[in-house]
Amino acid sequence: MSAIARPSTQVPVPQARPAPDWPASLRAVVRRGLRDQRRSILTWGLSLGVYGAFMASIYPSIQNSVEKIAKNYPESLKQAFGVQAMSTVEGYIHAEMFSLIVPLALGFFAIRAIAGATVGAEERGRLDTILALPISRRVLITGAYLVTAVACALIMAMTGVMIYLAARIAGTSISLGLVAAGVMGVWPLTLLFAGVAALAAGALHSARTVTGLGLGTLVGMYAVDLAGRLAPSLDPIRWASAFRYYGAPMRDGIDPVSFLGLAGVGVLLLLAAAVLFDRRDVLN
Amino acid sequence: MKRGGGSRNCPYLLSGPLRVHADDNQTAEVKLQSVHGSELRSGDGTAMSAVSTPAIETDGLTKHYDGARGIEDVSISVQRGEVYGFLGPNGAGKTTTIRTLLDLLHPSAGRAMIFGLDSHAHSRDIRARLGNLPGDFTCDTRLSGREFLQFCAQARGMNGLGSGPELGQRFEADLERPIGQLSRGNRQKIGLIQALFHEPELLMLDEPTTGLDPLMQEEFLTVIDEYRGRGGTVFLSSHDLDEVGRVCDRVAIIREGHVAAVERVAVLRGRTYHHVSIDFESPVDRGEFDRLPGITELECDGRHIAFKVTGALDPVVKAAARHTVLDMELTEPTLEEIFLTFYGRESGA
Repeated sequence: MSAIARPSTQVPVPQARPAPDWPASLRAVVRRGLRDQRRSILTWGLSLGVYGAFMASIYPSIQNSVEKIAKNYPESLKQAFGVQAMSTVEGYIHAEMFSLIVPLALGFFAIRAIAGATVGAEERGRLDTILALPISRRVLITGAYLVTAVACALIMAMTGVMIYLAARIAGTSISLGLVAAGVMGVWPLTLLFAGVAALAAGALHSARTVTGLGLGTLVGMYAVDLAGRLAPSLDPIRWASAFRYYGAPMRDGIDPVSFLGLAGVGVLLLLAAAVLFDRRDVLN
Repeated sequence: MKRGGGSRNCPYLLSGPLRVHADDNQTAEVKLQSVHGSELRSGDGTAMSAVSTPAIETDGLTKHYDGARGIEDVSISVQRGEVYGFLGPNGAGKTTTIRTLLDLLHPSAGRAMIFGLDSHAHSRDIRARLGNLPGDFTCDTRLSGREFLQFCAQARGMNGLGSGPELGQRFEADLERPIGQLSRGNRQKIGLIQALFHEPELLMLDEPTTGLDPLMQEEFLTVIDEYRGRGGTVFLSSHDLDEVGRVCDRVAIIREGHVAAVERVAVLRGRTYHHVSIDFESPVDRGEFDRLPGITELECDGRHIAFKVTGALDPVVKAAARHTVLDMELTEPTLEEIFLTFYGRESGA
């Protein structure tokens, strides 16, 4: 038999090995998760960054025409989309990118990242392998959340840097502080929607359903906020939308209470998700 | 059955020290407080489960899915240092049992103890001490085997890859290529290595030789034999009767979610029948053999006689000795045949 020619490695003596402490497990999960997300972070960061850089670089050449067009907008639309502030490069970038595209894109990224690392892994049978390691389910879902939070921060950082550099090269007097506030302001929003996805993953077994629920909440909240801004009579319902608290950080700076409130709700959703995830069966 | 190195290499069954790894760089000595007692303590006073505690013990373990049968009232006890086979056809409940032991599924009723610890309340501590190969081993297919082992090692608090590289050589596994580019058999090798590389006390293997070529199946069985010889415990789920018969000390037969029988493999074989075929020099009287105890399915055409005999062979030998025997063939039943006596042929197992 060929085994005779193989190295005569002895099967090692079994060891009574204690479980590592949970921070060590969490570090392992986060490290692995970030490596898995490397390509996504680059793709999303470059895509949003290039788009933002393009918008920033053309601003000087379209500034006058933008102001003329903006004057013709109905007042409610100006309010809703921040058109009235397009006389500044920060206001223009907020209206073009950060009022809709970036929050929706990053929210979707966060939802998909959480669903993939939890129910997606469950559907593919990978959780059977991962949860045979001394990793608790709470650590697993918390790790997925942290990976998503870091990935979103990195994507936003790339986007912000590219916007700032393009705007400066184009000769605008863009404010570094407002650009930083703009990209940082999206972050708690992504934490909240990551929390929504985590909560759904804590209870459900289908990645498609979890993604659908998260995306539905994201779009629904945006629609509620938009409706409230367009129709003053609907303004009271805006309290239920995260976008009301998101505001316009690129234009107005960050409201610390809203920032912490959104992030806090995201973390609370994660805590609830961890309890649910711990109690349910893992199927495959 | 051939046994491996036996208790000479088995720290758990003797009163010698049990090594406990705090991490790769730190090895603490554990003193046995009582070989037959219920508690061991490590050097820092941490309570350890006793050597006499079964590796796995389930009591009425039941799992129901929505509207479907899972397992029902499964009560088994797997002793330390034992290779325990869990035998049954697909869908009998083997995987459900393992997934419940691993706390992936929460039992509907009953409980499971591993190393004397509740499988749910102490799941993480338990998983630190076992290696598992799922029935359909899968992981992030973008990773190479080495990267996957590195993740497993980090999650287990290890600084290195343990015996992963050596096991990789032994199984001739490619640890450098992305797992997604490997054939099923080569992926299974990575699965076996990740189950073994951290030197666990207990191995849970669900259909472990699936996809392995015959040489690797042989190598796997040798590894299991060595592992048992060095004190390890194995819970081996399989529908391959030959595989179970070759490495297991005891076997539980699970049928439609219920444990139908638990028996030592040797006893199981001993309790069953033999095929006997005898050629005589001259014709014999059929009735002479038909009257013997335990004879069934007798066929006789004068000088040749064939039958099954259950129980002692002595009356058969004595009856045959009254004639001139030209040839005699005694065949042990395959485990498959034994299996069918438990299951009945209508099960289609």
